[in-house]
Amino acid sequence: MPSEELVLETRDLGYAYAPEKFAIRHLSVGLHRGEVLGLLGRNGAGKTTTVRLLTTLLPPTEGSATVLGYDLRTGGRALRSRLGVVLQSESLDFVSVERNLTLYAFLWGVPRETAKARSEEMIELFELEAARPRKPWALSGGERRRFQVARELMHDMDILFLDEPTVGLDAIARRRILRYLRGRALGGLSIIFTTHILHEADLLCDRIAVLHLGQLIALDTAEGLKQRFGGAREVAIGFESPLAPTVRAELTAELTGRGAMILETDPPSSADRIAFRAPDAEELLPWISHWAHSRSLTVERMSVEEATLESAFLGMIGESDAAASAANAERDEEIVAAARSGGLR
Amino acid sequence: MKLPPVLRLVVRNFASNLDPLTVTIRFGQPAVTIIVLGTMFSTIISSNVTGGGSYTAFLVPGMVAFQMITGGVVSGNLFWLDRRWSMVEQVFSGPFLRAEYLGSLVLTSLLFSLVGVGIMMLVGLPFIGIPSLSVVGTGAVLLTVALGSVFFAGLLIAIGTRLRSANAYFSIQSFLQLFVIFLSTVYYPVTAKTPRALAVVFYGNPLTYAANTIRDAFSGALGGSDLVGLGILAILATVTFTVAVEAFRTMDLGPIQ
Repeated sequence: MPSEELVLETRDLGYAYAPEKFAIRHLSVGLHRGEVLGLLGRNGAGKTTTVRLLTTLLPPTEGSATVLGYDLRTGGRALRSRLGVVLQSESLDFVSVERNLTLYAFLWGVPRETAKARSEEMIELFELEAARPRKPWALSGGERRRFQVARELMHDMDILFLDEPTVGLDAIARRRILRYLRGRALGGLSIIFTTHILHEADLLCDRIAVLHLGQLIALDTAEGLKQRFGGAREVAIGFESPLAPTVRAELTAELTGRGAMILETDPPSSADRIAFRAPDAEELLPWISHWAHSRSLTVERMSVEEATLESAFLGMIGESDAAASAANAERDEEIVAAARSGGLR
Repeated sequence: MKLPPVLRLVVRNFASNLDPLTVTIRFGQPAVTIIVLGTMFSTIISSNVTGGGSYTAFLVPGMVAFQMITGGVVSGNLFWLDRRWSMVEQVFSGPFLRAEYLGSLVLTSLLFSLVGVGIMMLVGLPFIGIPSLSVVGTGAVLLTVALGSVFFAGLLIAIGTRLRSANAYFSIQSFLQLFVIFLSTVYYPVTAKTPRALAVVFYGNPLTYAANTIRDAFSGALGGSDLVGLGILAILATVTFTVAVEAFRTMDLGPIQ
């Protein structure tokens, strides 16, 4: 469980890459010691900008933030020396994997013996034994990503920022890394983690912040998000005996009146079953029990499809929000154009 | 004991980016120039043209001066590769300041240039013997190479902050290197017969001042013109480095795709 101690707090934090063109705006969020906070959002939603802001790679243009007791604008080296950052882009030195690890530790001032022991630990943990003597360009995409995460863990830190660390990793490597990160969080490391793999966020994160078009639109636990935004879910009810057509019609009408969409109407082989989709499926279950009881019917089984983070995410973002998609694409182009012309600072 | 951040970066610059082949070629090329060009041209170029000594004796100080370009190019390339492979962004997400990173590039350039000076003098030894370098002369050689190294490192770093294409960067770097060396007094002196337009270009080139000063230091003939040359080099190095600092301060740290 994360502690109550806040290690990071932002208040209306924002970054404009051009006048009135915001990559992120009004970001108010806190991170506790030992907490894993996921940042979710579509491409161009502002996740990487948020990471770059919070690691001082970009200066905020509005709002404020405190990270580990330092003001984000003035904390500088003292602040950064307590952060770990795995960038979204590949960052490599042209030496072997093993030398990369020890050289990076040297850069951070880690004592030689500690660096040596830690590099062995990371090589084993991230399954880099075969890659140990190879130069980065001879690594597969997955190896490079594993190496990059391993390298960042060569030094001590209080907050670790991971910008899509599991891109290109197989399921086993992903699980291994997530399990390790979970362990580190239990040991007090606070983590900010961006990903597009929603199942990962569900597994790893204590809380999830959802960004959309540069704004924070939701901040809650995965369960909370599923409950709030999980949307319509499928419910299947099985009765002890087949329902009479009139009774079935009555139930269908009642459910429809409560916002449900009946999925199975009257196939002869399943007259004892009824299935429907409803936005507040769980709230309908007590009513169904009561309805069945009042008609001396016995409900044999009830099942509710589990809400997923993906359905919640889609509910929040709006799967077919064409206007938002267009705005997102336009914004992406503007950010890239600004960066190319040197406008991004 | 932890080294200061700037020195840790210098160690990393050498360890991570200078593979043996690159180093061999960087130092081997001017060394071969001294041996082959020096030997061959000594047989056909009159000592009148080269101020009394053999052509090799003329060429060695020129190649020593050339080391300031070698150091500058090494640092410029290092910076470009760091930028290309997101190591600039990675370094700045750690406990380092921009000034320290820039300082580490300049120090790397200086060290590389000074090692090059030593190698060129060693290569030249069988041809010209031990140069009669006074303490002032030695200081002048080192100062010249140091200033020139800062000039070229600054120039290439400034260019590197603005270009997003590897092809463009390396083409400009090669062109500059070629242009600067051939339009200087590294290979030949400016004489009364030199076309005026070319002479003007030669004296707009910092390498000319460097080569002339080092040549005078080698022959124990340092004079007022060398002091002027050093002053010009110092001004050029300061201006270029200031431009590089500003370009570096305002550059986008994001990755180059």
